[in-house]
Formats: sequence, C-alpha cells, structure tokens
Amino acid sequence: MTTRVNANRRIRDFEDEEFEGAYGCDRFTASILLNRLGYAVEHMSAGFLRQSFSPIIRDWYDFACTISGPPELGYPMSVVSNSLVGFLGTMADAVSNTVEEFGADRLAPGDVLICNDPYRSGTHVNDLCFIRPVFDGNRIIAFVNLRAHQLDMGGAVPGGFSATKTNVYENGLVIPPMLLWQRDQPVRSAFSLVCDNTRFGELLMPDFWSVYQQLKLGERLVAENTAKYGLPAFLGTLRYACDLSAERMRDAISAIPDGDYPGRALIDADGLDDTIEYDICVTLRKRGHDIEADLSGTSAQARTCINGGILEAKTAVGAAMTMLLDPSIPFTSGTWRWIDIAAPPGTVLSALPPNGPTMMYWEVMAALMTAVFSAVNPVLGENGVAGDYGSSNVHNAHGLRADGSAWTNICLVGGEHGPWGATKAGDADSYTVAYKDNNLDPAIEQIEHDSPCVVLRKEHAIDTGGAGAHRGGAANRKDTLFLTAGNHYSSPFRFKEPSGVGANGGSPGSTGGGVWIFPPAEESPRPNGLLGTSRDDFQNTIPVAGVLNPETKALDPDCGVYHYYAAQPVWVTDPGSVFRYQTNGGGGWGDPFSRDPGHVLADVRDEYVSIEAAARDYGVVVCGDPVSDPEGLTIDHAATASLRERHQRSPQSR
Amino acid sequence: MFAVDVGGTFTDVVAFLDGEIRTAKVATDYQHVHAPVIAGAAELGVERSDVFNHASTHGLNAVITRNLPKIGFLATEGHRDALDMGRVWRPASALLDPNWRRPFGDASRPLVPRYLRRGIRERIMADGQVLFGLDEDQAREQLAVLERCGVKGVAICLINSYVNPQHEVRLRELVTEVLGNVACSISHDVSPLAKEYPRASTTVIDTLMKIIYADYTRALTSGLRGAGFDGELNFADSAASLVPVAEAMARPFRIVFSGPSAGAVASAHFGALTGEDHLMCADVGGTSCDISLVTGGAPFLDTTVELEHDLVVNTLAVDVTAIGAGGGSIVSVGPAGEIEVGPASAGSDPGPACYGRGGLLPTTTDTCLMIGIIDPSSFAGGRIPLDRELSRQAFERLEVDFSLGRRVRYAYEMAVHNIAEGIFNVAIKNGIDPRDYSLIAYGAAGGMLLPATLSQLHCRQVIVPPYPGLFSALGLLSASQVFMVTSSAYLMLGPDTAPRIDAIFSGLEEQLGEQLPAGGRATLERSLDGHLAGQSWDTPFVPVPSGRIGPAETALMIKAFHETYKQRSGNRFDSIAVEAVTFRIRATLDTPKVTYPELPPRGKELLAPLRDTTLQFLGAVDGDDKGSVEAAVYDRLSLLPGDVIPGPAVILEATSTTFVLPSQMMTVGRYGELAVRMA
Repeated sequence: MTTRVNANRRIRDFEDEEFEGAYGCDRFTASILLNRLGYAVEHMSAGFLRQSFSPIIRDWYDFACTISGPPELGYPMSVVSNSLVGFLGTMADAVSNTVEEFGADRLAPGDVLICNDPYRSGTHVNDLCFIRPVFDGNRIIAFVNLRAHQLDMGGAVPGGFSATKTNVYENGLVIPPMLLWQRDQPVRSAFSLVCDNTRFGELLMPDFWSVYQQLKLGERLVAENTAKYGLPAFLGTLRYACDLSAERMRDAISAIPDGDYPGRALIDADGLDDTIEYDICVTLRKRGHDIEADLSGTSAQARTCINGGILEAKTAVGAAMTMLLDPSIPFTSGTWRWIDIAAPPGTVLSALPPNGPTMMYWEVMAALMTAVFSAVNPVLGENGVAGDYGSSNVHNAHGLRADGSAWTNICLVGGEHGPWGATKAGDADSYTVAYKDNNLDPAIEQIEHDSPCVVLRKEHAIDTGGAGAHRGGAANRKDTLFLTAGNHYSSPFRFKEPSGVGANGGSPGSTGGGVWIFPPAEESPRPNGLLGTSRDDFQNTIPVAGVLNPETKALDPDCGVYHYYAAQPVWVTDPGSVFRYQTNGGGGWGDPFSRDPGHVLADVRDEYVSIEAAARDYGVVVCGDPVSDPEGLTIDHAATASLRERHQRSPQSR
Repeated sequence: MFAVDVGGTFTDVVAFLDGEIRTAKVATDYQHVHAPVIAGAAELGVERSDVFNHASTHGLNAVITRNLPKIGFLATEGHRDALDMGRVWRPASALLDPNWRRPFGDASRPLVPRYLRRGIRERIMADGQVLFGLDEDQAREQLAVLERCGVKGVAICLINSYVNPQHEVRLRELVTEVLGNVACSISHDVSPLAKEYPRASTTVIDTLMKIIYADYTRALTSGLRGAGFDGELNFADSAASLVPVAEAMARPFRIVFSGPSAGAVASAHFGALTGEDHLMCADVGGTSCDISLVTGGAPFLDTTVELEHDLVVNTLAVDVTAIGAGGGSIVSVGPAGEIEVGPASAGSDPGPACYGRGGLLPTTTDTCLMIGIIDPSSFAGGRIPLDRELSRQAFERLEVDFSLGRRVRYAYEMAVHNIAEGIFNVAIKNGIDPRDYSLIAYGAAGGMLLPATLSQLHCRQVIVPPYPGLFSALGLLSASQVFMVTSSAYLMLGPDTAPRIDAIFSGLEEQLGEQLPAGGRATLERSLDGHLAGQSWDTPFVPVPSGRIGPAETALMIKAFHETYKQRSGNRFDSIAVEAVTFRIRATLDTPKVTYPELPPRGKELLAPLRDTTLQFLGAVDGDDKGSVEAAVYDRLSLLPGDVIPGPAVILEATSTTFVLPSQMMTVGRYGELAVRMA
C-alpha cells in the first residue's frame, strides 16, 4: 500500500522536514522528478507509435505506457502516458497481479514479463502487457510498462472484435505471466507460443521488438533519474504522485453533498440474441470524503463476450469521477484511495471465466460512465458534464479482391468516433474520441489504400446534438461503399436510450443512431453520387441496427422498432453495397431557451440546427435559406420573444 | 547584405556591409507591418546592399490569433468536416478533461467556419480512377454561395487528389471563372501526400498566407525600391532556406514557420566558424523558449510542423519545440503548495510586475530583478525602467507560507529547471546525448537563464554568441538559397520499381533546372521519405544515390533506409520490404554569408569590471534570509578574446544580460562569444 498521509493534514502544509521525511527529498526535487517521469512515458509512447506495424497501433494509438513502483511499496502506478483510459486504469493492477504471480524474486535485469489474461490484467486478450523490472543493484525499484493491442490473439474470429463469442476458449489465447525476454535474450518458446496461436505473426513480431526498444528507453530514463536524485528521492516521488492524486480526489469528493445517488444506463443486447437487455446500475453513496460505487442491480454477465471485469468497472468509476469532479487530478493509483467499488460477482461488469468472456469490454465501461454521469450530474449544477456518443459501434469486415488476395477492415468505418457532450466551457466537439479513450482517427485515404472501399460520407448530422445553452456535439454519419463482396460484423450497443445525457438542464443528444445496408442498384454496382439522408431515402435499405420506423426504416426513437445488430451473425453483402452508420448525439448543457439567439443563428447558418429545430428546441425564429444564402439569415426578434415567453409560461410546450 | 526578422514585439534589422555588422531593433507595427522594416532598412543603408533576406512571424501570429482573411474551403461532398475533425486526439494534459475543445474546431476557433466549407459532387478512388465525375453545375452553385459571402480566397482539397489531381485542377479554373482572380490553392500542388486532413490543413494555410503576405510583399518591395534597393529579395522558409520572393509567394505555406527557424541556422553557421558542429539551440524570449538541434553542422529538420495542437502543416521545417518559459513566465503556487513557473505568460502587456504597467503577478523577469541579475536602469537598452519594489510586492502576494527569499529562490530554480527539462526532452526525443553538445544561448533572456542549466543538462558548455538579442536575424545572413522539388508516389523499393523511380528523379531534375538561376553553383542532394511495409509513419531523409536509378541503386536505397531506421529507432528489420513515399531533390546554391569580425587580443589595458554588486537569495536563504553573494559586473564591449572570468559575474550589453553562476567559469572567444563551463 502507498503511505496514507494524515487525512487532516494537507501536503501543501507540510513543513520542509516533514516533507523530506515522508518522501525522501524536498518538495522541489519531487515535482521535478515527477515531471521527468511524465516525460519518460511520453517518449516511450512517441517512439512506439512511429515504429509500429499494426494498423490499430500506428493509426489508432491503441496502447499505453506507465511506471509503477516496487512490490514493497504496493506497486504504486505514479505516471501514465496519454492514451486509452481503459488501459491506464487497469495497468496498476495488471502489474501487481502479474509480478506477484510470477514472483518478483524470479525476475532479473533485462527480463520482460508478459500477460494478457483479462481476469488478471484487465481489458481483453488482444491487449498484451509488457512489464520490465528496473533494478538498482539487486533490488527492483520500479517497473516500466507498455500495454499494446495486438491485431490478433487467436480464437474463433479473425482480429477478435466480435460480440458473439461465448466462452474464453473461443475468445483467444490466454497468456499467463511468463517471460518474453530473459536477461535481454528473446525466449524462443514464448515467441513460438504466441506466433503459433495467432494470425498476422508477421506484424506481431516486429511490434514486439519495437515494444522492447521502448521498454529499454524507459528503463534507461528511470535509471538516469535515480542516479541523479538518489533512490530515496525516486521512491518517495512515486508515493508523492499517488498521495497527491488521492488528496485532491478526496477534496473533490468532499465538495459534493452527502447522499445516495443512483444512476443507470442500458446495453441493448449481447451477441447471442436480443431477448435480454443489460442494465448497468450504480448507486454512489457519498459520506464526508469517502464515496462508494455500488453496482448492485447490474445485470448478470452476458452470454457472449460483451462483458467487462471488475478492473474495468474500477477504471470507469475512477475516470468518470475525475472528469466530473476535477479533471486536473493526475490519474494514478491514488485516484481510487477514497473511492470504494462494491460489485456482486458474475455481473456484466464483474464477469468470471470461463463463461463470461470479455472482448467488447469498453462498451460496458462507457455505459457505466454514463450511469455515473447521470447519477452525479443532478447535484453538480453548472459543473455537470453531458454525455457522449456512448458506443464505439465498431464495424469489422473482410473479403477477397478480384485477384484473390484477402482484405480486412477493422474498426475503421463504423461509428467508432463521434460527439462529446457540452459543459460549462461551451458547445461540444462533434467528432472526437469517447470520454474513456484517446486515440487517432485513421485517414480515409489510408483506409481506401488498404482495403477496397470508398468512404462516401463522413460528416456531422443536422439536429442531432442535444439542445442547450451550450449545444451537444452532432452525431456522425458515415457511408462506406464496399467494392467487392464482403462479410461484415457490426457491434453497436446503445441505440435504445440516449447516451448523451443532458447536464444542468440541457437536453439529451439524439437518441439512437442506426446502421443500414444500401444494396447496390440493379442497373449499376457503383453509385453515381451520394446516397440521400432524408427520411424517404431508407426505403430500400436492409436495417442492421437501431430503433427504426417500420414503414420508412428511418430513425424513429419514439415509435420505432428495435433492429438487432447480430440478427445475421455475419452480414454478407454484394459488391457495391454501402454501409451507413449514424452515432448517437452528444448531450446539451443548460437551458436551451436561454441560448444566445446569435449562437442559434450561427448554428442554423452552419447547418448544425435546422430552422424548424431552432424554433422548436431553442425558441429562436430564424428566417432565410442557410444553404444558398448563409449570410443572409436573420432572426425574427418579435417572434422569438413571443416563443420564448410562451415557453417560460409553460416549459412543457416545446 | 541585409536581413530582417519581423517578430511579435520587435522587428530586428541587421546589415553586413564592408565586413561590419550593424543592427537596429524597432517596434513591430501590427497595422503597417512593412513600415518599420523599410524605415530600419533605410536607416542602415539598404541602398548599398545586393541582397535582402526576410523572415516573419506575422503569418504565424495571424493564425494563432485568428486574425485571418475570410476564405472558402472546397472538399469532396460528404467530407467538408475534415477540417473540424483533425486527427481527433487530444493532448495528454486533456486526457480526462471534458472541457477540452479542439482549438481549431467549430466549437472553438475554426480557420474556416462550416458554412464556408462546401462539398463538391465528385469522387476519385484510391487508385486514381474516377468513381463519379466532377459535377460542374453543382460546383458553380457552391462557388456562387462563396461569392455572395465575399470570400478573399479558396482552398481546395479533394479526397485522393494526391493520386489524381484532375478534379482539383478543373475546380481551380471554375474558381477563377466565378470568383475572378482570388487567391486559390489546390492540395495536389501544395502537398501531394496521402492522408486528407494534413493535406487539407496545409492547403488552407497556403491560401491564408497568399492573402496575408500578398499586400505586404507588394508594399515591402515597392518600399525597398523607394529606399534605393535594387538587389534580390528572399523570404526564408520554415527550414530557414532562402527562397526568391516570387517562388515563396507561389507556395507561401512554406514560410509560415520561418520566424522560429532562423535561429537554428544562425547557430549552425556560427558553430561552423568556431568549430562546434553539435549544438542545442535555445532562443529565450518574453513568452517562450524555442529549442532546436544542430547535428554534424546541420539543423534537424522534420517533414511536418504543428502550429497548434494537431494543426498540421506538411512542410520541411526546422524541428523547433516551443515551451512556455521566458522572461514573462508567471510565478504561481500549485495545488500541493509548490512554486510553479509558466507556462502562462504576462507577455509585454501588462508584462512583469516590475514594468509598472499594472501587472500584479511575479514573473521570471521579476525573479531576476529581485536577485540582482538584471540592472533596473539599463534593461532593454534603458528603454524600460524597472521597479524592484513592485516585484517584491508581487512575490509577497503569493499565497504560501515560506519566506520571500525562498519564494524568489524557488522561482528562479523552477524557471531554470523548466528550460533545462524542455531542452533535455528535445534531446531524448531525438536520441542524442547532451554531453556531446554545446548549448547556444540567444534571445533577450537566453544569457540570463541558460548558463544555469549546465549542471542539469551536462552539456559541454553554454555559448552566448555576439548580438544574442538579434541572433535569429543574423541567421538570415547565414542561410543558403535552396531550391527544392518533391514528388510523391507509393512504391515498394526493388528492381521492379527502379525504372519508375528513375523517371521520377529525371522529372524532378528537369523541374529543378527550370527554377535554378543560370550560372549559379548548386549542390544537389537527393533523398526519400518512406516506411517499412505495414507502417504508416515515414522515416524521413533517407539518402538516394545520384545519377541513373537501376536495380543496384534501389538496393543501395534499401540499405540506406535500414541504416537510417536503425539510427532513429534502435531496430533493424532487413527482412521487411521498404515502401518509398516522397522523393526529393534539394539544390543548395553557393550563397554569400555573414562573417563575424574577429576581435583584437587584449593589449596593455587590464580587464576590469564596471563595478561589484550584491546578488541576493542565491546563497543560503535560511538564516538572514538574504543569501547574499558578491558578483562582478562587466560591460560586454570591454571583453576581449582570452579573457577568463570566474563566476559569479554579470555581463551587461544593450539587449541582453549574461549571468555566470558561482560554480562556473567564462571564457571569451575570438569573435567575442562567451563560453560558460563548470569551473
């Protein structure tokens, strides 16, 4: 365990001697050393991004680096790189669990330990943890760590991304703690084990060597800093970093009123059938500077691999609390010191092997974050944060080119990226990375260079951002033409309820995106223009997912029928078919009827909001034609005043 | 020879005439940027010069402050939001910050608002085939909308135009037809590289720079002619290469980053004179410290530059890392009670507390004034009188328990640390060992803060060159005229592709021949950027043999790639194929350069300080809380080669102050440069 500082005494009030006694160095040295370690993990990341081969790493940034302290300090995770929060939050436990099981006393300088078992190290089997001990003489003083998504880890589905696998055996190769390098020599049997049981070994192998170089860089930087500032200062700084996070989180928790705050979110269905919806429930019990997140009421683990483990639940709660209460708190093991997580075993957020496989783990994490937002937002007032697009809506496809060669298209043209919710800071961005993630968006030209497809649309959809004094981000609409026949897997999980919850009186973002297949026209397999987006343009589509109108097949969240994404386990398409994805919208912040009419006019001009929605959702009457004369738009002030007045008298009239 | 460096606050003019360096520093005029340039040039006798080299942060500042002309952006229909999306990621500091917004996004400060980004009906596929043709009627309708909105220019970037530019070329014709002779850039001309977002943002910057610099260039040219100058006018590009003005204005995205780059070239040139070819270069000004590297005598270049987070420009640029640390950096108290310095800056308005212009927060300048490093009466050549009492009050206002002495001391050490850390970070990023490098210190605050980083950086020495406050401008008299041609094609290196690569280089040489002035002596250098099959981030500047490219030459290129890759990454994957992306020839012309006059050796006159002074807060600050240290103060003009001065010492000159720490020793070199080492 890390040192528990006296709860009544703040680090900033420590006398010099007290600080030195607690952390082995003066305050100044500790902040400098911490800063240098922060740079170290960023350097490891920058090197790996540029040198990697797997598309998911080089184009998506699907990896993370951390530094953790030695066993006798309880493996404090003190610095993390920029990356997926899901990776970072689980890394602290991944390192301690892996090293404890392998035996710290069996490690030697130059070793690299690996593990990918979700129940030991979190996330899913594709995420392989690489852990390198850093020695000072005979003593382990730290671990430098890198977790990176591998393009394949064996199992029933190439690439692994699928919601349909029903147990850990189908899910992929499970690697317990073992050495991949021993005293800087590659362990042949371990390399063979991985490469013999996975696809795309030609990509995995050079990526492993690139990882190895980054671990050596991290080790060197830690050693240099220890040599310069001394071991007590280094170890003290690792604890200082965690204590600082803990203290600040404690302050942030104290600032909200005591009480029990329930929140929930919904996962539409698992990968077997759509007879079961999965509830994500959380009750936050806040007393003084402690808070407990109780997941009781959450549905039993799913029958297919949409589950998350308890480490994901812990990460989601820590990340959501940081975002809501104080985003400037550094994310370390100290984040959770005053947060307790209680969950019954065997829920969709605390799944157990062998029949609760985890593959699409981030979806339940995102839903849990939405649940925490909806629980805490009501007491945060203007500090509330509206919800994002909720699900990564991943799309995976493969097929053959005319010359017989195989192509794959993994997590590139579904609804992987989308809008954020608005906050007190202003309107939200419309196409970005989910709150719990941070990564790159692959370039369309790279996607089209790598597989036979044409991304026809990638744009913001009008009237989808949640209305508010600050508007939520617009949903993303993406149309992709596949030039050859293809096999497609679609995994959107949150179309039944809005994920973009509102904040501070703002409206939720548009409920429910959808997924459709537009079959090729009979006269020509290739379109000669873009496909339409009006309600009448969906008539000939094959609905894949979403709550859709039975007649028009267009989105109809109020009266429509839910279409289940895995109704066909594999969606097989002819050459010339187009997949359309539309994400959920981001939530709004603040009363929409108080939005500055000038901003509403600009929204109409920029086609984020239609003239009809400006009047209906904001009470602003805009005149003119935004398409052909965007600068000629005007506000009818009298009509606006009367609409807004009417709304004030009867807020339900909108 | 003349050079001008237009900065955010000051415009620096330097002349090298009859073997003598003359300088002038005038305030930048935001309304009429050219006016002080011409006035300064006339003052120093520009009519006698045959060359006038120019760099400016004017365009960069316009982007950063969004003081931009109104332009339209034409994209493939369905893709106009590429400019809002960028590459989507956020910086590490915003990992869990729901209030973060993409700085150039529609929710923040877009370069082109959404309604001026128009979709054009057309589509080209990855292999260059046309999926559906350009709908000219629809394009005219969209251009008519832009015309109604009164745009001053149009940037065009269509999907896959890097492979097939036919629709972009036709659209440019339609722009002229509908909008007349407005500024217009197409992405295939500007940067024919894959990945639509960086290409689009580069094209937008190009169009903006065309407009921003067009009037300015006209005013500058006619003003200089009026002042009697009839020589050659060059603009520096982002790699600090000199480009004739006409060529620069044809592709002005290249010059957007010229301001920060010139210092590295000045360092490289000065290093060559003094026999130092491994340099870390640090330009410490009021708000930032710009850091770059010179290795083996050449500045370290990159193939892209980010003007803000993710606002990418595809251009060859000196790799400059800016950190928020300068004289104006604000001293504050962090959440754990620690002293923090920067990255926020008080700028020049209100400026540091001691300026007496209403600034209430202490800054690094206040810190140095409190210590006594800065002389309050001679700061900035005596133009800005400083009030130490205001600095003291600002430090007293900080909400911490410890004494004034400690506040100042910690603020000083943190300011030095931040800069040292920034420089160290650049060293690590580029895989160099600081112990092999000298640190060259310039900018108004360089000499004041950088020698103190020696003990943290372990670099060989800190060198303060002559005219440190105008050193970047001197870089423009140290640069070469460079012509560069590039071509992009995704080709696996091997015997099969040798004929195509040969044809590409022949074409490039022909193109270069048309650009090069007759009779100039040029050194040609070929290179390629490429990656291992499967990667998507390029390894730049792989050497390419000259002459005909056959199978033997592609084999050499593959070998050179693996060697370059090993150098940069530590790994070597001989079994993986190499894909080339960009082919390049740079022609460097023999260009006259500034020479620094050698100073005479010391004669009978003894080296003597101006006076002694008491520096505070540098020694023990616990007891009497003063930490006083006695130091000698010298006038830089009185120093001559071979002089050795032990620290602590303060060296004063018109635009800068150098501070040598107690544990250090300073030696004066041939050109009057100050070399500081650990004693």
